[in-house]
Parts: sequence; structure tokens; C-alpha cells
Amino acid sequence: MKHLEEFRQVVNQSFGYARQLKKDSGKKIVGYVCSYTPEEVILAAGAHPLRILGTKETIHLADSHLQSYCCSLVRGILEEGLSGRVDFLDGMVFPHTCDSVQRLSDIWRMNIPFGFHLDLILPVKLDTLSAQHYMVDVLQKFRTDLGRALQVDITDEALKKAIRTTNAIRQSIRAIYELRSRNPRLMTGTDLYTLVRASMIMDRDRLNILLAETVAELKVKADREKEDTSLKRIILAGGICNHPDIYPMIENAGGAVVWDDFCTGARYFTELIDEGAEPIARIAGRLINRVVCPAKHIDLDGRARHIIRLVKEKNARGVIFLLLKFCDPHAFDYPDIKKSMDEAGIPVMLLEIDDPIPAEGQLKTRFEAFLEML
Amino acid sequence: MSDIKLELDKRKTKLEKKMQNIMAGYYIDAKMARQNNKKVAWITSGGPVEPLLAMDVIAVYPENHGAMIGASKMGVDLCEKAEAMGYSSDLCSYARADIACCTVNGGPIGGLPEPDMLVCCNNICGSVMKWYEVQARHFKVPLFIYDTPVCHTDYTPEMKRYVEAQTREYFQFLEHETGRKMDIDRLKEIGKNSVEGAQLWQETLDTTMSRPSPMTAFDAFFHLALIVTLRGTPQTLEYYRELRDLMKERSQAGIGAVPKETYRLLWDNLPIWHRMKWLSDKFAEHGACLVADTYTSAWCGIKRELNRDDVIASAAEGYTYSYLNLGTDKMAELVLTMVDKYQVDGIVMHSNRSCRPYSFGQYDLQKIVEREKGIPSLMIEADMVDDRSFSESQVATRIEAFIEMLRQRKGA
Amino acid sequence: MYTIGIDIGSVTAKGALMSDGALVSSQVCFTGYNTAATARSIYEGLLEKEGLKETSIEGIVATGYGRNSVPFADRTVTEIMCHAAGAYHLNPAVRAVIDIGGQDSKAIVLSDGGRVANFVMNDKCAAGTGRFLEVMARALEVDLDQFGTLSLQADQPAKISNLCAVFAESEVVSLIAKGEKRENIIAGIHAAIGSRVMAMTGRLGMWGVTTLMMTGGVAKNTGVVKALEKVWGNPIHVSPHAQLTGAIGAARLARVAGSPE
Repeated sequence: MKHLEEFRQVVNQSFGYARQLKKDSGKKIVGYVCSYTPEEVILAAGAHPLRILGTKETIHLADSHLQSYCCSLVRGILEEGLSGRVDFLDGMVFPHTCDSVQRLSDIWRMNIPFGFHLDLILPVKLDTLSAQHYMVDVLQKFRTDLGRALQVDITDEALKKAIRTTNAIRQSIRAIYELRSRNPRLMTGTDLYTLVRASMIMDRDRLNILLAETVAELKVKADREKEDTSLKRIILAGGICNHPDIYPMIENAGGAVVWDDFCTGARYFTELIDEGAEPIARIAGRLINRVVCPAKHIDLDGRARHIIRLVKEKNARGVIFLLLKFCDPHAFDYPDIKKSMDEAGIPVMLLEIDDPIPAEGQLKTRFEAFLEML
Repeated sequence: MSDIKLELDKRKTKLEKKMQNIMAGYYIDAKMARQNNKKVAWITSGGPVEPLLAMDVIAVYPENHGAMIGASKMGVDLCEKAEAMGYSSDLCSYARADIACCTVNGGPIGGLPEPDMLVCCNNICGSVMKWYEVQARHFKVPLFIYDTPVCHTDYTPEMKRYVEAQTREYFQFLEHETGRKMDIDRLKEIGKNSVEGAQLWQETLDTTMSRPSPMTAFDAFFHLALIVTLRGTPQTLEYYRELRDLMKERSQAGIGAVPKETYRLLWDNLPIWHRMKWLSDKFAEHGACLVADTYTSAWCGIKRELNRDDVIASAAEGYTYSYLNLGTDKMAELVLTMVDKYQVDGIVMHSNRSCRPYSFGQYDLQKIVEREKGIPSLMIEADMVDDRSFSESQVATRIEAFIEMLRQRKGA
Repeated sequence: MYTIGIDIGSVTAKGALMSDGALVSSQVCFTGYNTAATARSIYEGLLEKEGLKETSIEGIVATGYGRNSVPFADRTVTEIMCHAAGAYHLNPAVRAVIDIGGQDSKAIVLSDGGRVANFVMNDKCAAGTGRFLEVMARALEVDLDQFGTLSLQADQPAKISNLCAVFAESEVVSLIAKGEKRENIIAGIHAAIGSRVMAMTGRLGMWGVTTLMMTGGVAKNTGVVKALEKVWGNPIHVSPHAQLTGAIGAARLARVAGSPE
């Protein structure tokens, strides 16, 4: 893959990259913590959206603010703030997600001296008309708040352009997922992770070009290469996955991850935004219709149905759930989803992960045993 | 003096008995609901109960049930059952205990009456929504979510529109479920009672402003049950009037809840239900009286100018602008007010593994209180129901050290 | 005037005999199962060494986890007060104390008179306690006493990121499997404890404090002290009597036994 090295560099040096981007382009950098953040509004403000996803460094400063029973994602984000590693940020956006992110927002606002701070209190339920109206209302408010913080007027035209950009990005990532789902040998799981993670960091215009070229490249490769039918096709599900190491463990055990249901994966790119008038309402529409996060409510069994549908559609043989320790919304959903999987005859493995993930040996054995079982 | 004390103590015991009888009657009524052609709704502790009462629906509180499970030390057993069902041991122990209880009809009262509908208000946390989703799947009954956006810094006009619309939707939901029309006048009456109940409760809690304090937070945890489960009923008003008067008389007679009250403390977070007596004795032993707490005062409502005639607007704002649904700094402001009002020497914070919105931010709260009021705080790691995360010897040492420190600070 | 302080910790028991505020003699042994017997033997050992009779002792204070099983003590005081009093005795300039004990770690801020102004203790998990070090020593098959010296020979401390002792143990095992140098692993363990304990200390908001002393048995481990210094950014005082600090403080407080100060 031609652009892999560039993606890798972006992911490995995400903050260095963002600092450089700020210097070179003069763009304001706006951090965010959840995939319900409307990147389009940030882009339309002429700023650059950067998703902060935990930390790779040891967490110690955040321990003075958050107890040990807080998830590593939230503690890690706070650590990045307190350590000053993200002091280049011009602002930070906190969409209402879960109880822990709710308090993270407060603690950030009270302790981090740099950048503006914006709460985006999205509706928690999505299945009523009033919630849908509120979604539009609150996105309008966000547009105003962000415009004020960045001292720009966010126009409908700019929003429409941003929508075209993110739509193109989402379409490309989706195309890559689909090509790879047909033939997992096209690229490794780690490389796909790198590409998706880079798409939350990189300049979106540059990203768009690289992704389009990657799709074209993979299409050619897909036509040439024969599909490998020996692989045990797996779907990963859960909240976030910031652990590229697990892909080779699964692959070395004869498995292939052919799709996922992650906030940091397929949930990000499913559902495009209708292009047309009233762009805010259309952005709201996508947030309502996209694959749901368990911290939101749209129905009672949609997530189970979605994962079962994915298994059938992608011809997968099993599902591995990655459950981030102390992630309440996912932990509440798991037992009933597991029951639905059992009823549908789909083998399931649960892996509770913390940051860092458990020792390699232990993990490998568990993956191997699960894949042998399939 | 001792005669008065004897008489007042007797009345206190009588009142406690009365409370137990009211609660027992309430649960019997709830269990008999089907026979009496009444509907049962399960509702969250911070949820809008008045419309249910106006529709003659019996409101049942799984959280109150969770507290009973904790107090009767049945928490560990039920939590373990939930874990065997696949629920992580890191989840809220009220939820774990309740979910497990439904499958075995165990617990101190043989399980709650089955719901006909579920009403979930997320002004206390996001966990309740997930918990109620589990129960909606289990009982196959309709779920109404009253979504109260977090007021980190303010209650905005967008929120106002949204929550008011939901209040109307809530009425429609109830009309649909009960086949009756909402009687707004009756609702107003109940709402008035609710507000009055909250005021009486506040007046009761305020009797602790006197030295020595006539009651402790442990008493408040006990007497809270009615304002949670039966607020808005005349019975509740009568009870709290009696309680307030009793506490006033105790304070006038100079009768303290704790012998030789030397230190006045404020409790933060939910009670540790499984160690109420132990903790109460531990503090009393050292002459420390927990004169106030942030938990039971949450049912007093936050003082904002509300137009009580506009039921929908005042309900929407009242239920949204509530203690746990505010930013940490706003919560800290209220704590600072309480520090002054009740003249406390220190704060005892329960770092509650089960409750993230209550517990996260406590470290910052500690610093704010120390900085603004020069008042130290003690952190106790525990869980409200699951006593596997409680170490008596560790907690005892901390309490003793804290008291020793307060003594030194007072002496200095 | 002789006084005795007895500190029954979860791992070791310590005794200090003081005369008019000066340390005369001390005893250290493992706590064992029978804390009352251990306390008794420490007491008798102290008397015997100095040829004193029970009647010449004017006050005895017991502290530590086993403080309530010392029947002959005049009163009990928590280890928080005792470590503060002991540290202040050893160095009156001290304004903050860090003690890493077997199952608890604590940070204490002292007022100018040596009184406790504030304190924090670790939350319920073992990370940042002596127990954590013990578990790690077992996993590495290294004597805990060698930890300090070995860690100073590290060239690149390994990264130990798990907070939980159980997970950290498996992390250490996998580092061993990867062939990481033992010295680096130990230095990594110390760094992990250092940042954990200083994070707890940070909750006290004591960054204005200039003189900080580390007390307790773990203070003998120079590796941990260095790791704490690295996060703290300043030198940390360690007394040769570090392990006895609690007992010394108890003996100091026994001077005023009977009356609560």
C-alpha cells in the first residue's frame, strides 16, 4: 500500500503531526472525545478536528483527579491535557456520552488552562420527534458556540462543503472495509487500524486524496489476488479499539477480522449525510440514523440485531467482544447481546481489556482457543 | 431534662416504627396492585413521579429496593448472581442487585411487584437508562425515557424546549398506558404537595444547624424513604411535619444525636447501606456528628425561581436542574454553602465504586473545599451495596486518623 | 522519663524506647500471626536490652494495624499521627511525609508545629503499596532487599503501566519472557510506584511543600526514593531510622499519654 507509511507516521506522531499542521496551515486545532462529534461543523469553521483517544503514556497526573475505577480512555484523555502534551489545542469539544465523559468535561474545564471548552449536550434518546428536534437545536447552538469561540461565521455553504468532504472520506473507508472483507489478505488488520486511526488525525482534504488512491490501488490488487477461503472470519465488537497488537494475534491464529462494530471503526463511517439544504438538520439526521452507541437509546435490541446482521452479511463465524474495563454502557448491553448471539448460534468470546491490554502470551492462547473452537 | 429526653426518644422510636409501617403498607399495596386493578410503574429515584400519582399508578423504586438489599446485607449474594448472568462486577450495585433479584424473586421483600411500565429519568446517571433497558427486555413492558440534558454550566433554552416537550409526551404515554385522561388540576395539587414535602424535608434537615445537632445524616438516610417513594402524598406531609417538630423540640431541649458532639461533619455521596450502624457508631464513638449530607438534601430541590403555576415548565426545570445533573463546580458551590450553613469541621466523602457521576470530581471537590473553607476531608473507598469492596480495618484507621487530625487542628 | 512506642504493621512490628525525647533502643521483627505475643516480645526485648523494669516506663502508645491487640498499651494512636510525629521528631523542617506501608500508603501534610494538617491514603487496591513490591519480587525471583541496588543499575526502565498488582505481575512475567533486563524491570516497577504515590500526594495539593520525608520500611529501597524524587523534582529526606518512624512517633506521643495532648 502506497500511502501506508504516511498513515503510520501520522498515527505514531499524532500530536507532532497536529502541531506541524497548525504551524503550516494556520488552522485552529479542535480536539474531541466521541464519534458523535459533528466533525463537519468544525471543518466548516475552517478548523481541524482531532480525536483524542486515551494515552500511550503512563497515567499519573490524572490519578489526582479521577479514581482508579474510571476507564483508561477517560483517564488517558485527561492525562494528555494535564501533561500539556496537547497544549497546542485551540479548544476541546465534549459531547455528552456517558457518566465518565460527563465528569471528564467538568474536570477538564476546571483544570486545563489552554483552549476553549465546549459542551455539546446531545440527546441521550434518539427515537422521538422531540429528541430529533433537540438534536437539531443543540447542533445549531454548537454551530453558534464554536463560531464564537473561533471568531468565524459558519455558513451553510461551508457546512455543505464539509459534508461533501466527510461523505467522501466515509465512502472511501467503507469501500476499503468492503474490499478487505471480501479478501482479508488485501491488507492486515493492523494496517486497516492505522488507516482508520489516521483518518481521525490527518488533514481531511489530504486524507480524502490518500483514501481515494488507496481504494483504487486495492481494487486493482483485489482483481489480481485470489480469495483465501481458509481463514476463519471474525467480527470484532465493542467500544473503542486502540490496540493494533491484537490483529496479528488473531491473524497468526488463522483468523481474519472482516468487519467491526467499534466507535473507532465501522460506527464512524456507516451512514452518510444527505447533501442539500439545511445542512445542520442533515448532520443531525446522520447522528440519529447511524449505528448506535450503547450510551444512547434508540430501541431495545437494535445493537444485537445489527451485530447478527453483520455476521450473516460478512459471512463471519464468530464475534469477539472487546469490553473496556469500567465502560458501563457496553457492560450493561453485553449479557443480553450474548444471549441473542447464543440463540442465533453465533460463537462469542468476551475479552475485558484495560489499557494496556493483558500480556501477549495470555491473549494469544485465548484467541487461539476461540478460533480452534470455530 | 432526662424526662424530656426520654419522652422525645420514645416519640422518635414511634416515628421510626410509623415509617416502617408506612413502607410496609406501601409495598403490600404495590404487590396487590394487580388484584386491585392498578398499574405499577418502576421509576428512578430522581424521576417525575407526580404524573404517576395523578394517574393512580403505583410508583415503585428499584433504587429504594437496592438500598434495602444493601441494608439487609443481601447485596453480595445478589451481585454475584448478576455477575454469573454476565454483568460485570464494575457495574452499579443497585442495578446488579435488582437485575439478579428479578430472576429469583429474592431479596428482603421477595422481589418487587412486576412493572406494567418503566419510567427512567437520567438526571442522576446514565446507568439507569441501561438498567431500565435490561428490565424492559426482561419484562417486555414499555419504557419511557425522560431525558434531562446535563446542565454543566446552565439550563439552556434548547434544553427547556426539549424537556418540556418530553413532559407532554410523558403525559401522553401515561394516558395511553392507563387509558385515562391526565387531570391537570389533580397533578397541580400533587405537585404542590411534592414541593411542600420537599420544604418540610428541608426544614427537618435544617434542625441540624443547632448545636448539638438533634439528628445525624444516618437518621436522614433512614427518614428519606418517604420523600423518595411517596412524595406528593398527604401521608408524607403529615409524617415530615411530625418529624420536623420532633427534631425542633429535640434541638430546643438541647438533646444531641451524638453524645458530647465535638466535631460536625458533612457526608458526601450515597450511604454505605451495609455499614450504617457500624459507621454511625464509629463516628459517634469519637463525638463526631454527621450533621448534613449532599445525598438526602438532593430531594429538597435546588432553589431556583420557578413558576409553580406552569406545571410543565417547572417540572421540566426542576427535574433537569438537579444536583447530580450539574457540573462539578456547581455541585461544589452547593457543598460550600452547606459547609457554612451547618458549620461543619470536615467532610467525609464516600468514594462509591458504583456511582461514577457522584464520585468522579470528588478529588477536585476536596481541593475546592480545602482552598475555600480550609476544611479537610476524608475519603472512604466503598460501595453502597456490594460490601466486597469494604475493609473495616482500613476504614476504621482512616476515621480515627481523621478525628485525631481534627482534634489537632482545633487545638492548633 | 522513659516511653515506648509500638508499631504493629501488616508485615513488620517495630518498637522504640525513648528517654526524654531521645531514642534509646529499638526492636524490629515480623508481625506473624499472634500480634499480641509479638508486641509483648518487643516490649520485653526493649526492657531487657536497657535493663529496665516495667515500672520505669511512663507511657506506652500502640499504633499500626495491630494497635488494638497490644493490651498493655496506655492508648492507641493511628499510624498517620505517629508517622507525622516521628518524622517531625527526626527532622523538624519536615512539612510532608510519604509512607509506603505493607497494605497502605499515605501522604501527610504537617503544619508548622508538626501537627497533621491533612492526609490522604491509597484507594483500596494494592498498587503503590509494599505488597505490590512483594508480589513483583516474587515474580522476578529477586530478594526484595536487592531491589534498590539493582534498580540503580538500570539503563532504560521498562514501562509497567498496569495499576492492578495482578495484571502488573503478568506484565512483569511477559517482560521477563521477552528477555528484558531484570534491572530495567525493577526500575520500571519503582517508576510505576513513584508516579502512583505522587499522584495520590497530588490530591493533597501540597506542591508548595519544600521538605518532604519518606518514612517506613520501603524508604530503605533507594530505587523507590529515586523514583519519587524524579516525579517530585526535589530531594526527599530519608532518615536512617525510617522504618522506626511510626514507633518513634508513638513513643513521642506517649510522653503525654493519658491526656489527649
